[in-house]
Amino acid sequence: MVLDFVKPSPLGTSWGLGGTCVNVGCIPKKLMHQAALLGQALKDSRKFGWEYEEQVKHNWETMTEAIQNHICSLNWGYRVTLREKSVTYANSYGEFVEHHKIKATNRKGQETFYTAGKFVIATGERPRYLGIPGDKEYCITSDDLFSLPYCPGKTLVVGASYVALECAGFLAGIGLNVTVMVRSILLRGFDQEIAEKIGAYMELNGVKFLRKYIPVKIQLLEEGTPGRLKVVAQSTEGSETVEEEYNTVLLAIGRDSCTRKMGLEKVGVKINEKTGKIPVNDEEQTNVPYIYAIGDVLEDKPELTPVAIRAGKLLARRLFGGRLEKCDYINVPTTVFTPLEYGCCGLSEEKAMELYKKDNIEVYHTFFWPLEWTVAGREDNTCFGKIICNKRDDNRVIGFHVLGPSAGEVTQGFAAAMKCGLTKQLLDDTIGIHPTCGEIFTTMEITKSSGLTISQKGC
Amino acid sequence: MAQRVVLRRFLAPVLFRKLPRCRWGPLPPEVLAQGSSGRPAAALCLARTFSTTKISKVTFNVQDGPDFQDRVVNSDTPVVVDFHAQWCGPCKILGPRLEKMVAKQEGKVLMAKVDIDDNTDLAIEYEVSAVPTVLAIKNGDVVDKFVGIKDEDQLEAFLKKLIGC
Repeated sequence: MVLDFVKPSPLGTSWGLGGTCVNVGCIPKKLMHQAALLGQALKDSRKFGWEYEEQVKHNWETMTEAIQNHICSLNWGYRVTLREKSVTYANSYGEFVEHHKIKATNRKGQETFYTAGKFVIATGERPRYLGIPGDKEYCITSDDLFSLPYCPGKTLVVGASYVALECAGFLAGIGLNVTVMVRSILLRGFDQEIAEKIGAYMELNGVKFLRKYIPVKIQLLEEGTPGRLKVVAQSTEGSETVEEEYNTVLLAIGRDSCTRKMGLEKVGVKINEKTGKIPVNDEEQTNVPYIYAIGDVLEDKPELTPVAIRAGKLLARRLFGGRLEKCDYINVPTTVFTPLEYGCCGLSEEKAMELYKKDNIEVYHTFFWPLEWTVAGREDNTCFGKIICNKRDDNRVIGFHVLGPSAGEVTQGFAAAMKCGLTKQLLDDTIGIHPTCGEIFTTMEITKSSGLTISQKGC
Repeated sequence: MAQRVVLRRFLAPVLFRKLPRCRWGPLPPEVLAQGSSGRPAAALCLARTFSTTKISKVTFNVQDGPDFQDRVVNSDTPVVVDFHAQWCGPCKILGPRLEKMVAKQEGKVLMAKVDIDDNTDLAIEYEVSAVPTVLAIKNGDVVDKFVGIKDEDQLEAFLKKLIGC
């Protein structure tokens, strides 16, 4: 049995079956990112000989309608799949009332009680709000953005998470005036050298950054679709304030686990009181033996769709299929779909230095200029690749990083290679495919420690 | 065409008292001979009273399970049921096309439209996986079915088969 219930966002947005990824995450994000990439491709196309008269402009409603139609078809697909596997589905909010028993409340407030031998918590997270005047009334989050019925217009994105940067990226890519307000660093937890390059590229391409500021007040100047909002922001380093008017304020400052109001305390499930996350053992079991958890609610595990799916599948097999395999959370690849995409697998340089110490690691790096960018006249010495090797373990590749087009596609194959124990030697022995971006990883020679320059010169 | 429908609405409760089932037997010639000028306001009022539940046009939207039971399962006339969704592109093509072909059959077959998001239980009960799915229902049983788009000739053949058998 599956209980899925979406509590509407403060602005009233809700969605169907499938979770965050399908409805308000990966899927609509990647489609909107694609819309922005196509805009860029149109710009490049003239250099490749395409001639057209019309001024190119973007229609928000056309894009969101098409994306929402696709999402609805996915929602339906999940209903069908559940039915085919004889899984009962209830669109109800579940909470524990006592051991082995839950109360399910549907939209109309009707309560039904269920008992079960085992439970799996996969309730995920929702966007965090700032806690300042006007935030819940006037700001939107990623929960609202992907189905917004009107173009957001001049937008302020608050935050420096991958959600913030990805959204800022595609909004700017479809032609909107976008500012990103950042409290401290970009992409916390990711390799910082690359995070800064991502920010620099976005800034070069028209996204404004307000670094070291936080909003303190949001006021409504005029209602509308979109309306006009005034944002007052305070510097984190002094008493300076800035004020600016925007059509839309998008908050992307983090996500909070949905574990507080489901009666976990009634059955004794321990959660991290500060973060709401659930600690589990390597079999996704909570401190209560018959209650398990998977996905974004887990403490210290990557918050990624494929991780949750894999953990869930293996858990089911262990519980009911007699299998023993556990989910491997090491070397999980991921990609950030900012305008310049970033794919990575393994450790950031900071983490590698912390775990293995500087003398034991070797970092190889290079800039590269994708062939398609040459004729298009796009930037050189911008796309970047880096691998981090463990000198004490046969130069094992412990960190893979690529900043460039189709980063996700490039990274996927290397993630499999790392699972097989990829070493620098094996990479060198691999012959590259030409002309591609990925081939740079088969010919990397310059190390950071050598101090040699990696900037490419001239033609 | 519209005039005929109005006359039917007016006459149906008079000629066919059995409710809630709709009956579309052939109208007596003297009724059909009446011209359009004689369309009384009363007929329109009657039509409004009955239109949503008992007396239907050739094509109608299913409101819920009981409505489906009423107008499709218990229908004396064969019904093609078009399961569709707002988010489905091909449905927007098939729907009007099927409606047109059904209208050509002059009342020998009716068409029920079911939005699968509004009537999910119904769609699940009839095992609809993909849309558009069209079922042919006669005397309460599913006698034929197809999934996806068909052209006019194929639809004509599908309908004729349903009416014929």
